[in-house]
Amino acid sequence: MTGPAMTAHPAAPAETELLVELTTTVNGEEVTATVPPRLHAADFLRSRLGLTGTHVGCEQGSCGMCTIVVDGEAVKSCLMLACQLDGRNVQTVESLATDDRLDPLQQAFKEAHALQCGFCTPGFLMTATALGYQGSCPSRAEIREEIAGVLCRCTGYENIVTAIENWFAGSAPVSTDGAPAAGCPVGAE
Amino acid sequence: MTTLERPLPADDATVSPRGVIGTSVTRKEDDRLLRGDGRFTDDVEPAHLLHMAVGRCPYPHARIVRVDASRAWELDGVKHVLVGADVRAATEPLTVLRPVPGAPALPYYALAQDVATHEGQPVVSVAATSRHVAEDALELIDVEYEPLPHVVDVLAALEPDAPVLHPSVLDSNLLAANSDGSGDPDRRMLEADVVVEGRFRINRVTALPMETRAIVAEWRPGARELTVHVSTQVPHLVRKQLAETLRLTESEIRAIASDVGGGFGLKLGVFPEDVLASLHAMALRRPVKWVEDRAEHFRASTHARESVHDYRIAADASGRILAMTDVYATDIGGWNSPFGSAQLSSVVLNGPYRVEDGYAERRVTLTNKTPVGAYRGYGQPEVNFAYERLMDTLARRLDLDPVELRAQNMVKQQDLPWKNPTGAVYDSGDYERCLRMAAEAIGWSEHRDTGRVPRADGRLAGIGFSSFVERTGYASARFLARRGSQFGAHESVTLRANRSGGIDVYTGVSTMGQSAETAFAQVVSDVFGVDYEAVKVHAGDTGASPLNTGAFASRTMIAAAGALKAAAEELAAKTLRLAAARLEIDAADLQIDGSVVRRRDDEAVQVPLVEIFTTAITGQGIPPGEDPGMESTSHFEPSDAAYSFGTAAALVSVDPLTGEFGVERFVMVHDGGTVVNPTVVAGQVRGALAQGFGAALTEELRYDGDTGQLVNGSMLDYFVPTAADLPPLELLHTEVASPVTPFGIRGVGEVGTIPPGAAVANAICDALADFGVELSSLPITPEAVWRALADRAAPETPDDHLAPTPGDLPDGGVGY
Repeated sequence: MTGPAMTAHPAAPAETELLVELTTTVNGEEVTATVPPRLHAADFLRSRLGLTGTHVGCEQGSCGMCTIVVDGEAVKSCLMLACQLDGRNVQTVESLATDDRLDPLQQAFKEAHALQCGFCTPGFLMTATALGYQGSCPSRAEIREEIAGVLCRCTGYENIVTAIENWFAGSAPVSTDGAPAAGCPVGAE
Repeated sequence: MTTLERPLPADDATVSPRGVIGTSVTRKEDDRLLRGDGRFTDDVEPAHLLHMAVGRCPYPHARIVRVDASRAWELDGVKHVLVGADVRAATEPLTVLRPVPGAPALPYYALAQDVATHEGQPVVSVAATSRHVAEDALELIDVEYEPLPHVVDVLAALEPDAPVLHPSVLDSNLLAANSDGSGDPDRRMLEADVVVEGRFRINRVTALPMETRAIVAEWRPGARELTVHVSTQVPHLVRKQLAETLRLTESEIRAIASDVGGGFGLKLGVFPEDVLASLHAMALRRPVKWVEDRAEHFRASTHARESVHDYRIAADASGRILAMTDVYATDIGGWNSPFGSAQLSSVVLNGPYRVEDGYAERRVTLTNKTPVGAYRGYGQPEVNFAYERLMDTLARRLDLDPVELRAQNMVKQQDLPWKNPTGAVYDSGDYERCLRMAAEAIGWSEHRDTGRVPRADGRLAGIGFSSFVERTGYASARFLARRGSQFGAHESVTLRANRSGGIDVYTGVSTMGQSAETAFAQVVSDVFGVDYEAVKVHAGDTGASPLNTGAFASRTMIAAAGALKAAAEELAAKTLRLAAARLEIDAADLQIDGSVVRRRDDEAVQVPLVEIFTTAITGQGIPPGEDPGMESTSHFEPSDAAYSFGTAAALVSVDPLTGEFGVERFVMVHDGGTVVNPTVVAGQVRGALAQGFGAALTEELRYDGDTGQLVNGSMLDYFVPTAADLPPLELLHTEVASPVTPFGIRGVGEVGTIPPGAAVANAICDALADFGVELSSLPITPEAVWRALADRAAPETPDDHLAPTPGDLPDGGVGY
């Protein structure tokens, strides 16, 4: 071993950090956990639940990598504390595919080459999922505005817009009140 | 918007017999990334993991008088603290992969020794049971700084009275001056009918990958094995640099880059935090993770591009270019980054234009700012902005059509290959054709004939062009050796057949969005004949892949395609021999077709690949004279760099009262040689254009001159384009095969970063020609246009700061 020859100092008396309990539903399963109050939701999902598909890019709500769906709406999970998930219904990217099959939104991304490095992709998928819950047919310009809260440095976005548009046109994202939003027109600006 | 992807049939292209090369198969990488099942470095979570946080210098230039970490050691959960002296005792200075020719070494340690030279330079680091605790501990470390005089402006740093950053090594902030050229451009300038010149200021930007830098380091002292999961473009070079810095052997290090969340040149080589995490892990015998936060990323990774170019073009009255010269100061920040300083402004000094007399002189300048490293384009967007702005100025001066002026001066197809004044050999291409296509697509002749009639809303329309060449790949290992580079020009792959009838490909090229897994599988499938689905690419693990170079400089496919081809051909030949023995048919009458080897003229006569591969792998039943095994490793270095080329055209409308403008159309005509996957290539071009637009219009890292602080180091204050910001992009391709690479491939990763700045600026200046507006700095903002309109001031011109000194440069030979 050629590293620095140093020994750790004896530890100070154990700090007693306040902990809070939460119960939340994540991807259809009820989860109960005890967490420090300063743990944010993205870190909770990643390190406590092993849901590492939710990525962290800036921790100040600017980049959108950590976007998840909470009670049907897209939120940036770095701006939520884990304890704020108590009593909420949480959906992450891991909820989309079933077994070996991509879901239609993921398939639309794949077919449109809407991802390159893939780090931002879960953020776009969850943003689009929440957009689908709104039950209307967005134009391309509206899709651009809706996804502007998630940054991508690889693709130039065009194929992401196309993928989401194709998803709206094809399979059936269903709004939270059950109204289907399928069969949207393609190419509307 | 209109998207015109590949409207033209490929011409001059190598026609692939099986059609896998050249088809848009879906990507190998996609399923795991879409499912949130990628493995980025932060997703690696070994048991007993500790977390590192790094304390950084808050000043642009400061002496570290005293560091007292005793209170941090006492915090519950803190396991280890490193200060500068610990690092000095345990490590060698960090090495530079691509040193600046002629520059002295600046001894750079992972933690600052005595003096820090930029805000964000690491000073102390802590390993603790959580990142929270590690950051709390940093607050308890008492560092006393003595602020020193600083300089952040690149030209001011070259003034005689500027504070010198590294006085023990240099007596000024000029790290090195490199020149290259041929002919007698100064004489041509005197003889010319017209000389146009300008001072062009290029903004400091950053690559800003969505995944920041990250590392997980684990040390097993008994096995003497340091395993690092690291977000890098070059795992094998990280292994080499870590070995050198940590005083280990390469055998003791395994570097793994599984999924990399964007690189763009920023993630090239070892950074201080990689060394620190390794030192903590080695001291503690526990895994240590560090994930850069975004505030750190803005101050401690690398920046790019910042430079000041004094460019001159001399021409005769007909518009024929007689000489082109560029003397430029390029900012390297406080230290050498792992990848030195962008060098390609000198290499492609003259762009696509034929000129015999020209030189480039580069002044690499130290300032008290974050180090400048590689970023997609690596000097080429910068110099393109200078010469393409001046081409339009020249056209106006001579009252010539800017398209015709460009066409007149472009290197002609029949003159290629051709060596430019700084020694670059342009290999092949039809530059004028791309220019004409861009002019046609954007509607240039109609616009030219209409004149500058304001629209009903008072806005003025303008069209601007940017023609370019792009060096992709490296000229050769010989070229690199003369420049002290710590890597070669080749790529290496191992192909290994398996008993399921598939082929595993092992490569040190990490996966960072460039679709190498897909393209590699396409080449193997094409050459070998096996199904695309049966090829699996294992990327980025030094423990499993042959020693290679890495993913940068638009070089991966240029070099790797040759290695893949050779290895696949070797395996195919052996497969056919074994099948021939098995079927008792001459090998020449057999072909590999998907999952079987079959008789060319009778597909009923066949044997499954599973059987042939199993025979080879077990060695049971192989013919006499054959060795067991079905594996091949191949290394390939292309004979020269391949030059991509093209022309972009922008249509803008400008409000002449306010300077507000919009890019209404942007046409990109590009030739990337033979295209392996058209969808992927279009994605690369489009993505690089988006970064090019960011750098051209909205991105700029600004430092306060008085305090030396970065004033917009967050994603709230640094504006990369969102989906709602980009103009409509229309992509057109030509496809001229390069003679210097396998299959005729040219690199495609970086080209889109080059033309947006010049094309948009030229379009605005075209719209505002009656106002005499000449833009000469980036980014181009409405405010900058308004200022140019309001001041009517003459643009900056070259002055003595950057007076050329071609006669008395230190090396004279190798200039970049």
